[in-house]
Amino acid sequence: MTAQLTDRVLDELIAALGKDYVLTSKTARMNRARVPAPFPVHRWRERVPDLVVMPATTDEVATVVRIANEHRIPIVPRDGGTGLTDGAVPERRGIVVDVKRMNDIKEIDLENRTCTVGPGINMLKLNEVLAKHGLIYPDDPASYPCSLVGGRIGTSGWSLVGSRYGHTRDLVLSFEIVLPTGRVIRVGDGGGRKVSKSSSGYQLKHLFMGHQGTLGIATEATLKLYPKPEAEFSPFWAFADFDSAYACVGRLARAGVATFAGAVLFDEWKVDYLRRDDEAYIPQPEDVRALVCAVCYGNSDEVRAGGKRLMRIARDAGARYLGDEISQGDWAARHDRYATPLHGRTADGQVAPMSWHCEDAAIAYTDLATVRTAWHDIVAGLRNKHPVFDDWGMFFYTSADTGVDYLTEIDVGIWEQELDDASWAAWVDAKREIAAVALRHGGSISACHGSCREGEVDLVPEELGGGYDVMLAVKRSLDPNNIMNPGKYGLQRAYEDQP
Amino acid sequence: MNERAGEPRGTPGYRYDEQHDAPPARQVSDVAVERFEHIFEVDPKLMTVHVAQQLFPNWDTLRIAAGRGDHLEWMHRHWAGTVLSGQELLDEIERESS
Repeated sequence: MTAQLTDRVLDELIAALGKDYVLTSKTARMNRARVPAPFPVHRWRERVPDLVVMPATTDEVATVVRIANEHRIPIVPRDGGTGLTDGAVPERRGIVVDVKRMNDIKEIDLENRTCTVGPGINMLKLNEVLAKHGLIYPDDPASYPCSLVGGRIGTSGWSLVGSRYGHTRDLVLSFEIVLPTGRVIRVGDGGGRKVSKSSSGYQLKHLFMGHQGTLGIATEATLKLYPKPEAEFSPFWAFADFDSAYACVGRLARAGVATFAGAVLFDEWKVDYLRRDDEAYIPQPEDVRALVCAVCYGNSDEVRAGGKRLMRIARDAGARYLGDEISQGDWAARHDRYATPLHGRTADGQVAPMSWHCEDAAIAYTDLATVRTAWHDIVAGLRNKHPVFDDWGMFFYTSADTGVDYLTEIDVGIWEQELDDASWAAWVDAKREIAAVALRHGGSISACHGSCREGEVDLVPEELGGGYDVMLAVKRSLDPNNIMNPGKYGLQRAYEDQP
Repeated sequence: MNERAGEPRGTPGYRYDEQHDAPPARQVSDVAVERFEHIFEVDPKLMTVHVAQQLFPNWDTLRIAAGRGDHLEWMHRHWAGTVLSGQELLDEIERESS
C-alpha cells in the first residue's frame, strides 16, 4: 500500500461500502492491474492498485470519489477491462473502482425504444433480455461477450455494425457521471434523459464520451434501442490482388444501401496470417491474396434487396464469392475475437505463444493504400531487430455509411514473456511512428481504442492542436487535485505550469 | 505414445486406448495438417521448440470443433432471425442476367 492509503482511508471506505466490497487481497488487486494490451511481464508489478472497491450505487461511487479527492489518492474506474489503450490500468496505483456490481437493467421503455442500465452490464447479456421484446442494443465491439457499457462510454467505443447503427457515442442517449469532486451530473443532448437531438447548451455528452477515466466515473446510461434484425447477410469475397479488393470495398461502401452495416478489406499480410491457422482460409487456393466482406442487418425484404445490390457490385468488381459456409462462419466469429487463442511464428516458422495487439487509426479511404505500406515497413523493421514481434496483417473497416473513413488496423503478435526493456522501447518507438504516419495522412491516431498508451500519446497534442489546450483546461477545472486516472493522455501537464 | 518430433507427449489419460489413435495426418498446406474432415491443425513439426502439445483423445478434438460450430450458430441467432444465403442471391442475379 502507498503512504497515501492509510488505515484511516481504509476505514472510511469500509464504512461507506462494507468490508466485503473493499478488496485488498493480492489476487483482487493483481487481477485488475492490466488490460489485454501487451506489457513486459517483469514490469507488471508497477501497475498493481493499492486496493479495489466494488460499489453498488451512484451514491457509493460518489462517496468513494469524495474520499479519494479529500486524501488526494489516484482513482481509476474499471469496467470490463478489455480496452487496448490502458484506460483501466492504474499507472499510479491508488484505488480501482470496479463497477461490475452495477449491472442492473433499471428500465426498458418499449414505447420510446430506450433502456436505462448500470455501467457494469455487458451488451450480450443485455441483448438476451431485450430479445424477449424483439429489440436489440447494437453496440458490437470485437469484445462483445466481455466488454461493458461503462467501458464503451469511457473509450467512446467503435462498433462492427456502426455503419448502420452508429457507434457508442450515437447509441448512448445520455449518461450519469460522478465528477472528480464527487458531484453527480447527467450529460446528454440537452438535459433530457431520452433526447436524441437538442440545441440547448454545450453538447456535454461528447465531452465526456471517451474520457478514459480522466474526468469521472459513469454510473448509469440510457441507451437507444432498435428492432432485433429479421435478417443478417455477410458475404465474403476473394481477390487475386489488393488493388482490386481495395477498389471493390470503396464501391460497396459508397453504394448507399440502407441496410449496409459495414465492409471490411483484408490485405495480403492478413490473408497470409489466416492461411496459417484459420480453418476457412487454410484450404484456399494460392490466388486468393486479398479479401472483402460486407454486412447488412434489418428487415428481411430490405436486407435481401440491399444484399443483392452488393453482390452485383462485387461481381462486377471481379470478386469471387467464398460461399455461404465461410461467409457466415467468419462473420459470426468477428463478434468474439477475444476468445481466439493466439500464437505467432518466430523467424524460422516455429509456433510461439504471442499476445495480440492492434494499432489502429482513422484514415480516409483515399489514403489507405499508402498508410498500409508504411505501417508494414515499420513492423518489418521492428521484427528484424526483435523477433518477439510478428506481423499479423491489416484490415480496414468502414466507420460510416458513406465510406469516408476506415478503422485501419495492423495486428501485431507480441511474445509478451520475452519482452525486455530494449524490445519494449522499440515497440513504443514503432507505435509513435505508426501514429505519425496516420497524422501525416490527415487521419486520427485512433478510431477505436483511444490514444493513451506510451508512444502514440506523445502525438495527441499534435493531432488536436489548440483542442489539446482545451483538454488541459477542462481537466484542471473538473479535477483540481488530479486524482482521476492521473498520467493518462499526458494530462499531468495541466498541473505542471501552475504557480 | 510415439516419440516422433512434434507429436503430443504425455501419458494417455483416457481409458479407451483407441481414442488416442488419431487418424493419419494429411498435409494440407506448408503449415497445416488435417486428421478429421474439415478440422485443421498446425503442423506438429512447427510446435517442437517453444510450445508443448497436449494429449487429446479423439472425442475431445471433435467436441471442441463441434462446440465452435455451436457457438457460431448461437451468435447468428443472437443477432438476427435468419441468415440470408449469398449463393442464393448470386444465383438469382445470374438467372436475371442470362
